[in-house]
Amino acid sequence: MDRETRRSLEDFRRNDASPIENNLIDELVDGQLNRAEFLRRGAMFGLSVGVMSSALAVVGEAAATPQGAVVAAAETVKIGGTARVGLAKWGGSLEPFKLAEAGSLGMSGIPGEYLTYSDNNNQIRPWLAASWKPNKTATVWTFQLRRGVRFHNGREMTADDVVANYKLYTGNKQSQALSIFEGILGPEGVTKKGKYTVEFRLKQPTGAFPYLVSQTSYQCIIYPGSIKPDQWVKSGMIGTGPFKLRNFSDKRQYNLIRHDQYWGGKPPLDGVRVTAYETSTAMALAMRAGQLDVVSAISRLEAQPLIGNKKFRILTLPTAAHRQFTMRADDAALDDPRIRRAVALTINRPEVSGGLLRGAATLGNDTPFWNGYPSSRAVAQRRRNVAQARQLLAAAGAENLSFTITTHRLQELPDYAAAIQRYARDAGINVQIELLSDAEYYGGGTDYYATTPWINKPSTITEWGHRAVPNVYLTAAYASNGIWNAPHYKNAQLDAAIKSYLSAVDLATQRKYSRQITTILQRDVPIVTAYHFTSVTPVAAKIRNFQLESINHVRLAKTWLA
Amino acid sequence: MLRYIVKRIGLAVVTLFLLSVIVFGLSQMLPGNVARAVLGQFATQEAIDSLNHEIGADRPAVVQYLDYMRGFVQGDLGVSLASQEPVWSILQPALVNSLKLAALAFVIVVPLSILGGVVAGLRAGSLGDRTITIFGLSMSAIPEFVTGIVLILVFVIWLDWLPVTAQWDEGAGPLTQVEHLLLPSICLVLVLFGYIARITRAGVIEALDADYTRTAYLKGLPTHTVIRRHVLRNGLLPTIAVVATQTSYLVGGLLIVEGLFNYPGIGLQVYLSAQQKDFTVLTSAVLVLGLVVLFVTLLADILYGLVNPRVRFGTVE
Repeated sequence: MDRETRRSLEDFRRNDASPIENNLIDELVDGQLNRAEFLRRGAMFGLSVGVMSSALAVVGEAAATPQGAVVAAAETVKIGGTARVGLAKWGGSLEPFKLAEAGSLGMSGIPGEYLTYSDNNNQIRPWLAASWKPNKTATVWTFQLRRGVRFHNGREMTADDVVANYKLYTGNKQSQALSIFEGILGPEGVTKKGKYTVEFRLKQPTGAFPYLVSQTSYQCIIYPGSIKPDQWVKSGMIGTGPFKLRNFSDKRQYNLIRHDQYWGGKPPLDGVRVTAYETSTAMALAMRAGQLDVVSAISRLEAQPLIGNKKFRILTLPTAAHRQFTMRADDAALDDPRIRRAVALTINRPEVSGGLLRGAATLGNDTPFWNGYPSSRAVAQRRRNVAQARQLLAAAGAENLSFTITTHRLQELPDYAAAIQRYARDAGINVQIELLSDAEYYGGGTDYYATTPWINKPSTITEWGHRAVPNVYLTAAYASNGIWNAPHYKNAQLDAAIKSYLSAVDLATQRKYSRQITTILQRDVPIVTAYHFTSVTPVAAKIRNFQLESINHVRLAKTWLA
Repeated sequence: MLRYIVKRIGLAVVTLFLLSVIVFGLSQMLPGNVARAVLGQFATQEAIDSLNHEIGADRPAVVQYLDYMRGFVQGDLGVSLASQEPVWSILQPALVNSLKLAALAFVIVVPLSILGGVVAGLRAGSLGDRTITIFGLSMSAIPEFVTGIVLILVFVIWLDWLPVTAQWDEGAGPLTQVEHLLLPSICLVLVLFGYIARITRAGVIEALDADYTRTAYLKGLPTHTVIRRHVLRNGLLPTIAVVATQTSYLVGGLLIVEGLFNYPGIGLQVYLSAQQKDFTVLTSAVLVLGLVVLFVTLLADILYGLVNPRVRFGTVE
């Protein structure tokens, strides 16, 4: 490294760097962060590429790749053509603040874009926001918007739009994004500080805030602030994305054409045709028949006929998505942690992953800290141990344990319940299975949270989607006051650790608390997480440069047809 | 005849009213609520309450029903609780889709199965009869999703002759639409062929054995005249009734076929509305289907009277 680079880095540290940024560079120099982690966290806290490159040079690492760089493809990009995309049909709304289903978030995410982008390495990157900076305590985040971004109607995106959008997402009672921002950000905390500057004043320190405004918070699409709630679709789904809506027949077919003023450069495709499929079987059949180029949200089992066929490529991506097998900590049969731990010990995780999911999974460890999260601390993998399970049951006086797992008819859930039943039998546990329809499982009375089966049955299995950071899992499913705390598990020690984790800004502290949290959860096992999904996305062989994502978005800005 | 029709229409109105009460009552018994279905299981209770209030789903059930019926009798089906779109704008395309599919299936299956039934009946016990009977029975016994997948495998994936989905592009011509509807129609034809053919066969055999047929032969009428005037005219009477009763299945009961071929018909719409507890769409869809069934049944009764001169409206009802 030359002296000039070192001096400029020292100048930055002395004059401009915040304590968070200095701490980050210290962690790199001390060897607590490797190159990838440093880049990931540097991007999260808004360090410039130049500073990150200089810091890496100090420790003898290669310079940082410029953010957002696109690796040139070996083939020549072909311009033109229409990509045919299949999505699962949705029952609800396409309005951004109401998005709640795989199909609808995929559809709205084509014309829509977000402030930041959480890539497949869980690194946060600029998107509609060009940069961001936290204050010393990570309670105030200032975002600089990308200039020259045009909506589909030709108007430039400014801070007014972002402020209006975020006031809706954090303030409207029907906003699905409330589950992300509850206790973190309210509408009063979103203010314009300049034509291209937006400030988010948080209710509590949140080191991972840039992740919360990424596409994994799929509701938070940026669109013209003048569009009233529930009018987005009617006004033509105006966003900033590479394709704009031309026409559609509701919940059936959507035709989009290239947005010529797209800020990211001219998209190679002329357009995109999205077809909503009533069933994933129909979608897989259409793919098999060569009538679709990309499908989203089909299971590994449904993709099976496409595997090995030269007409298709199967793209896979490990994700944090998982199933929560919960056991109520206040249920007479399951209230002893030893009993719940015994149940967890009966499960043969590699067999579930290999058999039930045909290998499209990574092993879970009864913690929301998926291995892909930088903040996860390596903890010994829980393995099947029937003898130990029997000992724990005997110690708890529960040799004749019997309980019912309630779940619903979705993908592999019934089979997973049956697998648990089979494994548990080896330890003398009698498990019954109650299978409900989706409507029954998620239904409920006037007091929803006190009546809905998925939160109130003694034991349940529920699907959870991917998140770039585990914050929502922790606050909603594990914290004592979590609104989706299905096991009704309360632990002040865990709550304190979660709070400390969420407000930690440096990785070492986050890892310290993630370990604490995992230790508590592996001991008490309110929730068994046996596996995390590897998403399986089949694409036609002629599709090039398709940007696979951990959730069901379909990113086609750079995609082209060979 | 006119008196008969008026009476039938009066009965239809009562039937539709009772139908609306039953459907509404049943929809109230379904678990969940509209807002939960729209906003998803992870929506907060505050969000659910807010949406339910906004769309009026938190009002007493009777009030909601009376409100709906007040609009219905004035020709206003109201708005969908789930999407806030006018109900008719949701039902109309779905109904048109279902009618198109039903019409194509009807046009293929009725002549085909009647022909099969007549041939089988006229040559009862022959190899042809057995082939038609066994084939028809076998096809009826196989669920639609099995025949559907086999058809897709053969005609789409192996032969690449037909499109896999029953959806066509905006502005597609009638021939393109028929091309897209062919596979689901064949699926339905295979299910219905055996049933209609067997009823026709039984009717033909019974007519062949009847005194009036024997008399016609004894009078010296040629065989083709006996068959056309006496056997078919009498033998097809049960078939008309059977075909009429299949209409409700063809129009509103094609959930599996619509799902497999991704065809947004009214069967799927009813299912989706029931799932979402969207009672305005659900009740309207069932009433519209009820209307179609009543109309077809009435048509079949009239046809029955025309084919069978022994039946006279007002005396035999």
